[in-house]
Amino acid sequence: MPNKPDMPRNCDIFCNVIDNYGDIGVCWRLARQFANQHGLAVRLWVDDLASLAKLCPEADVTAGQQQCGGVEVDLWRKPFPEAQPAELVIEAFACKLPDNYIEAMAAQVRKSVWINLEYLSAEEWVESHHRLSSPHPSLPLIKYFFFPGFTPKTGGLLLERDLLARRDAFLKDAKQQQAFWRSVGMEMPAAEILKVSLFSYENAALPGFFDAWVNGTQPVLCLVPEGSILTQVGQYFGDPAPQAGSDYLRGQLHVRVLPFVEQQRYDLLLWACDVNFVRGEDSFVRAQWAGKPFVWQIYPQHDRVHLKKLEAFLILYGKQLGQPASLAVQDLWLAWNMESGAEKAWPPFAAELNGLNRYAQDWTRQLAENNLALNLLDFCREIGRMRALEIEGQ
Amino acid sequence: MVGTDPMVVLKADYSRSGRNGSVVKMKMKNLLTESAKETVYSADDKFEQIMLDRKEVTYSYFADPMYVFMDSEYNQYEIEAESMGDAINYIEDGMPCEVVFYNDKAISVELPNTIVREVIYTEPSVRGDTSGKVMKPAKISTGFELAVAAFIEIGDKIEIDTRTNEFRKRA
Repeated sequence: MPNKPDMPRNCDIFCNVIDNYGDIGVCWRLARQFANQHGLAVRLWVDDLASLAKLCPEADVTAGQQQCGGVEVDLWRKPFPEAQPAELVIEAFACKLPDNYIEAMAAQVRKSVWINLEYLSAEEWVESHHRLSSPHPSLPLIKYFFFPGFTPKTGGLLLERDLLARRDAFLKDAKQQQAFWRSVGMEMPAAEILKVSLFSYENAALPGFFDAWVNGTQPVLCLVPEGSILTQVGQYFGDPAPQAGSDYLRGQLHVRVLPFVEQQRYDLLLWACDVNFVRGEDSFVRAQWAGKPFVWQIYPQHDRVHLKKLEAFLILYGKQLGQPASLAVQDLWLAWNMESGAEKAWPPFAAELNGLNRYAQDWTRQLAENNLALNLLDFCREIGRMRALEIEGQ
Repeated sequence: MVGTDPMVVLKADYSRSGRNGSVVKMKMKNLLTESAKETVYSADDKFEQIMLDRKEVTYSYFADPMYVFMDSEYNQYEIEAESMGDAINYIEDGMPCEVVFYNDKAISVELPNTIVREVIYTEPSVRGDTSGKVMKPAKISTGFELAVAAFIEIGDKIEIDTRTNEFRKRA
């Protein structure tokens, strides 16, 4: 149950799945945190149950309404059914709520707190847009824009209460680590092997990376969860049908294909590896909680806008990082995102791994101060108190 | 219109969000209550547009806090400094412009899309760079500072886009 008297009792989260798992990944994680850590009754309205089922295997793709992990999951159908709006309504990534739901919100005496949860960006403009109101053009409703981010003036990042403690326990406990490696069909790799997880969109720079690892001096174990990069992995090794369980050995490189890893277990993979390649938004954030060096492939946008966003993060991330290390990160990330030159950018990055590892842990501690779910709830309570004062004053 | 309130946009900043979406931060002023506030919208949000009247005028003088304009029939119209928006950066005595009216009340002023102004201060030119790609700050007579091409010198006349506050070329 909610432990604060002015805390919202329930929440509707709306998620329109565009492609991949980024939108649903964030919504599903937020829904579970609200439900399981803050006691809210949460309904997650999602228009693509198949995507959710990848992240949460217990989800039934045929069910119009079901309970999953403490959350009520409802299929977002058209036309949208009549529904009593929740006290807190989250429109994820400006997904446009159904008209009849908006009208129902407008008809309430005590209006829902309506928040558009925006995409994550390290760009400076985000701070000045965060928490601004967006009065509805025709109805007596106000929506608020809430921007996740990396600085104290933004909404922060999604972080479960116990995540960092669980991570530390895993890293200290050889038995937990062994159990993880066995769960992916392997024995715990020797300490001298560099363990890399590779979760990415298709990327023309992949053969360059593999070449660098094949011909390098250190053995590399690369774990590739099933996804859009798999075809390219197969092409590199001359396998037309790569699948979960496939193993490839060449030179110093050993590649193992894993079944698609659901959200709960993905953290273990990140913790177990020395370097993590991540993509989009959700895995990008999880890699930062892992406290390990990582390489981010940003979601590509028209007009190469994504490169500005990548640069903004690199500037922020590199601010307190020493010169050779920040340059090595920048070169490798740009090579990976520009899809060329990875083979040249890898050795300087690999040479900085010890320092990057320490820095990644400091970075995690810094980010952990600003929790998105808590900030959303605090903001909701703030709006509620403000409205109560307005009513009193009338 | 926002709800039942007629609003005028004083300033708008456009930013690209994720997945090819965009957001616009706007400073808007309520034409009935005169209160101004900052808001943010998705770039594809739609509003009912208010039909506004316009009249050609010239700028006469400033009587704090009002800017006073006059039409060809010597009628005077006053606009608050706060409602001038970016026009305040360029306004000069006798300057032709358009005053915008809502319900017969002057609410804002619109300038020509491009204007020419003299640079009153800038650092010396960078020798050899005539590409126009390297920029430096320059001040015009109103005190407004903008980025101009590195080859621009004090006394040069420059063409400015009043919609974006950007330098276009040497006039």
